[in-house]
Amino acid sequence: MKKFFSIFAALFLVLGILAACGNEEKTEGTPKDTSKEPAQEEPEGKVTIQFWHSLGGVNGEYLDAMIKRFNESQDKVEVVGTFQGTYDETSTKLQQAISANTAPDIAMIERAYVQMFAEAEVLEDLKPYFKDSDVKESDFVKGLMGHSTFNKKLVSLPLNRSTPILHVNKTMLDEAGLEVPKTWDELKEVANKLVVKEGNEVKRYGLTMPYDTWYPIAMISQSKGKFFNDKKTSVDFVKNGIGKDVFQYLKDMQNTGALFYPPQTDSGNIVNQMFSSGKVAMMFQSTGSIGGIAQQATFDYETAFLPKNDVYATPTGGGNVAMLASSEHKKAAWQFMNFMMSDPQGLQQFIVESGYLPFTKKMAESKPIQDLWAKEPNRKTAYEQLEYATDTNKDTAWPEVMHEFFAAIEAIMYDNADIDKSLDTFTKETERILGQ
Amino acid sequence: MSRGKLWEKLRPYVMIGPAMIGIGLFVIYPLFYLIYLSLFKFNLMNRNMSKFVGLDNYIQILGRQDFYKSLTNTVVYTAGVVILTLALSLLIAVWLSKRTRVNAIVQAGIFTPHIISIVSVSLIWLWMMEPSLGFLNYILKGLGLPTSQWLQSSKSAMMSIIIVSVWQAIGYYTLILVAALQGVSPTIYEAAALDNASKVKVFRKITLPLISPQLFFILIIMTIGSFKVFDTVKIMTGGGPNNATNTLVYYIYSYRTTNIGYAAAAGVVLMIIIGILTIIYFRLMAKKVHYQ
Repeated sequence: MKKFFSIFAALFLVLGILAACGNEEKTEGTPKDTSKEPAQEEPEGKVTIQFWHSLGGVNGEYLDAMIKRFNESQDKVEVVGTFQGTYDETSTKLQQAISANTAPDIAMIERAYVQMFAEAEVLEDLKPYFKDSDVKESDFVKGLMGHSTFNKKLVSLPLNRSTPILHVNKTMLDEAGLEVPKTWDELKEVANKLVVKEGNEVKRYGLTMPYDTWYPIAMISQSKGKFFNDKKTSVDFVKNGIGKDVFQYLKDMQNTGALFYPPQTDSGNIVNQMFSSGKVAMMFQSTGSIGGIAQQATFDYETAFLPKNDVYATPTGGGNVAMLASSEHKKAAWQFMNFMMSDPQGLQQFIVESGYLPFTKKMAESKPIQDLWAKEPNRKTAYEQLEYATDTNKDTAWPEVMHEFFAAIEAIMYDNADIDKSLDTFTKETERILGQ
Repeated sequence: MSRGKLWEKLRPYVMIGPAMIGIGLFVIYPLFYLIYLSLFKFNLMNRNMSKFVGLDNYIQILGRQDFYKSLTNTVVYTAGVVILTLALSLLIAVWLSKRTRVNAIVQAGIFTPHIISIVSVSLIWLWMMEPSLGFLNYILKGLGLPTSQWLQSSKSAMMSIIIVSVWQAIGYYTLILVAALQGVSPTIYEAAALDNASKVKVFRKITLPLISPQLFFILIIMTIGSFKVFDTVKIMTGGGPNNATNTLVYYIYSYRTTNIGYAAAAGVVLMIIIGILTIIYFRLMAKKVHYQ
């Protein structure tokens, strides 16, 4: 009897809790107000807009300064910027916040995650807002808008955008009487000639790049390959042999000591340090690191286009900015976004300070940016390279596929796994994910 | 039933009520919710888009190479950490069991790693294990020994993580064992000495059985704890290189953004494994534990 009663009491308790939580879910589950009407009643007084971003360190300070400039420029809207960690961490937090109904009004989203959020219908369509704004959709540089539309909706705009680029220690190349490589063949030759060995130990490498999917993807599109096929049912670059070529090329260079492939943790900082301290002559790395390297390098530092195989090509990266559909102050939020996109004191100033890419033609032609490019031509290279920007890894399932692609990269680059076999496993997993 | 009697019956439940509500809210509810999640292709942001997939997530888990890889890694890690820590802390405990001032100082020293955050510990070891500039390879080179790639090769990465975990754990378990050794009544040793028993025999026949409850406790706590290893992996290797150090919990974690349902299913599998382990331990080992 006693036992029965205790079991009953426990069950009752659990069921009660479950039922309570179940009810809650249902109310949460109803789709939020996704009306496309930007005109909304604004409450009296000052409106506070929450803005989540992923910029820490110096770039975070530049962004905070921009937010401050906006807050001081008018007295209706107060923007509160919050640093939420890396791109991945911000995405995870944003997912949870949306689920718990505590999402911010505006958020920076790494461009590859945009599709995932857009698919869940939590991002506001920005098209209607352009009507009475200082920017037009056509003002934006095409190469950077690849991740901005989803199902004909404009769900995000560029914020801090970058591309990979070739960083060159010109002093080292000059000493060896070598030219900056323009093709894969030249790159291989130059990188191998710059290797310095002591016994079996490599003292100086020719080329390096961070551990990331970005660089193999760049090389795939340089070989006229695409990441996903057009129907988005499988990957494109494996069956036509392009994947094998790319990784074989990297492996050949790695085996002769021409390529240093860094360990996965903290790889970006490791390669930057090696490059700045003259341990490697060339590096594939984001435009975002130009500022830092220029400060540290004691040698003649240049940037160039990523070398071409069949064609010049580069993927894009960095963060976009999106408005959450759940925001209660959309008009005020847009006021801030409009400021960022069009005001010379907005992102334009931030870009001059940080070194990210200008993303509207007006910005690129503005005097501060032109002056900067005249002074530091290194920063212009990336903007010019945008002509060849192409993103072929766009899909809502990309974050999940990325996981599998990393596994293949690790197997090949760290463990000398058979390239064909690794790419086959990768293709199989990708097809499974895309088939869901 | 009189009112007094009813209250008599109800009182215990009222008393444990607050605790039970806490447990229900933070343990039992999440547990059921985890199982519920594992049956869906779950869309965290828009629940209407979640799709019920039944046992698909489980079928996928059991069919995937990388899951077995991380399971094997976890078992290797657990076996390595538990055996090494137990052996080393027992050895040190026997050495430190005499109450002298030097021993107290040494014991405090060995215990220190335990009070340092595992994050700091991992970061410092990460630094020391750097192959070309790190302290460990510098020492090895100086002694004319072959150097290791430590965390950067899939062959030695797991070993490196185990070393760090053991180094951090030894002090705490030594402390428990020293206390256990000092708790053994000296009269038993005196009796053994009168019988001219050898040191090895005393250790095997008297010391070990008498501290077996503590050994058993350490074994369970460590096995379960090691199965849930996360922080060292997250900080030192990120599961790599090439999944060489990807353990179960890290495996679950790596799906947090992309596939909550799959991660939940993996969580349920982990829970089942730990449950089975605990039951086996209690059933089999309890018989061999010697209580005074």
